[in-house]
Amino acid sequence: MIVLPAKIILFAIFGAFLTGIACSLVGSFVVRMNLSSLGFCMSHAAFAGAALGLLLSFNPLVIAIIFSVLVAFILGPIAEKAKLDTNVVIGILFSLTISLGLIFLSFSPGTAMSSTALSILWGSILGITINDILRLTVITFSIILIIVLFFKEFQAIMFSRKMAEASGINTKPFYYLILFLTGITVALSLKLVGGLLVFALMINPASSAYQFFYDMKKITIFSPIIGVFCCFLGILLSFFLDLPTGSSIAITSSLFFGISVLISPKRKRG
Amino acid sequence: MIKLKNVKTTYEGEKTPVIKDINLEVKRGEFLTVIGPNGAGKTTLLETINGLLESRGEVIVFGKDIRKFGTEIRKNIGYVPQDFSCDSLTPFLVKDVVMMGRFGKIGVLRSPSKKDREIIRKTLSFLGISELEKKPIGKLSGGQLQKVMIARALAKEPEILLLDEPFSNLDLNSRSDISGKISFLNKKEMTVIMVVHDISSIPERCKRIVLINNGKIIKDDGREKVLGG
Repeated sequence: MIVLPAKIILFAIFGAFLTGIACSLVGSFVVRMNLSSLGFCMSHAAFAGAALGLLLSFNPLVIAIIFSVLVAFILGPIAEKAKLDTNVVIGILFSLTISLGLIFLSFSPGTAMSSTALSILWGSILGITINDILRLTVITFSIILIIVLFFKEFQAIMFSRKMAEASGINTKPFYYLILFLTGITVALSLKLVGGLLVFALMINPASSAYQFFYDMKKITIFSPIIGVFCCFLGILLSFFLDLPTGSSIAITSSLFFGISVLISPKRKRG
Repeated sequence: MIKLKNVKTTYEGEKTPVIKDINLEVKRGEFLTVIGPNGAGKTTLLETINGLLESRGEVIVFGKDIRKFGTEIRKNIGYVPQDFSCDSLTPFLVKDVVMMGRFGKIGVLRSPSKKDREIIRKTLSFLGISELEKKPIGKLSGGQLQKVMIARALAKEPEILLLDEPFSNLDLNSRSDISGKISFLNKKEMTVIMVVHDISSIPERCKRIVLINNGKIIKDDGREKVLGG
């Protein structure tokens, strides 16, 4: 085990705490709205952005953030205007972004496997800076505030978008807000868990919380608690077993989900 | 209260409209039942009135165009969809689903008040399903879910009630009970438009029947004239 400076460890813990809350909170909506592949799609968009950054010798993280948020912005309107199922649009954007990423990498010989590219793909928690912490703090508190303010509208949309519309709710802005929050959360979480694994932190804790409760409020509260727990446990395992942090967090949250399914009171008979 | 003039609704990707040349006027406090064979366009007509489908022609509700003021208008329309279903793990309790019916009326950035919760309690009690209040919505039987969806529509204390096959999944006792309650609400000036395929389930109080076939209104007259002929 390597001994690290206290500042790096502190930043890593803060980063994990904030990412765990942000991803899992948004995840509770993404899971219920059947947009699970959205996180997957966005993380691959981030990969394409990072590859373009490498090709243009520009900060890969900035372009990764732009690509990820862009996917969120175009996903909703395209799906709605073209009257396509969201999962169809996600599928197309996924193949497009991964192909673009590979093309950009193929045009940047020598840098494809550089540490910058890898850190965006797999995460680099020890590289978290004070600016990253500040960005994560702003997005996490914004997400909490937005959820508190519009919880009833989100809840109605999650039950049935058509019925929410019939109740007199203009669902469009709220639906797009969820997509946008997802995009920005994915982008800002890249540094911790990486582009390829961020969706695991978004989906697994939320899906675990769904195994225990029938009340959406409780799911929204417990999902980030599970997310933070998985982040801390994942980081501990990565420190002690010398594993990549992103993968370690993803494995921890996947195991948590597996155990949740096994002990879920919702699945018990009688 | 409701005015449809030369209304035509065509689904995305379809060439033939599901309903066409629809001209219909419904006055405040009227009770109207729409009947017709499967695929006649009954549900489409109801969803067009509610502004949930894009249509051509004039759809005026409360004196306003539903396409321009749909969200505002729907705050006063209770809607019960046909055969609503949800999976057994759906993470919502009955009281939350019923409260959702009032969300449009409560408005953005406002939380349900004590008064709203009292209305939910009274609505559940009116329909005789108070005991279901804290049950997960996915664990209900088809009949119970149907009553909850009716409660959700009534929770907003609507001026217009649109019911799409409200008696489906209900046993005979519940049918007669719900039928009586809909009639009671209509007596209190609530405008009711109901879609049914089984004409024996039309409540006595309903005096106007609209027969629809192939997307067109074939007959729009008094109960005896339409059902008798």
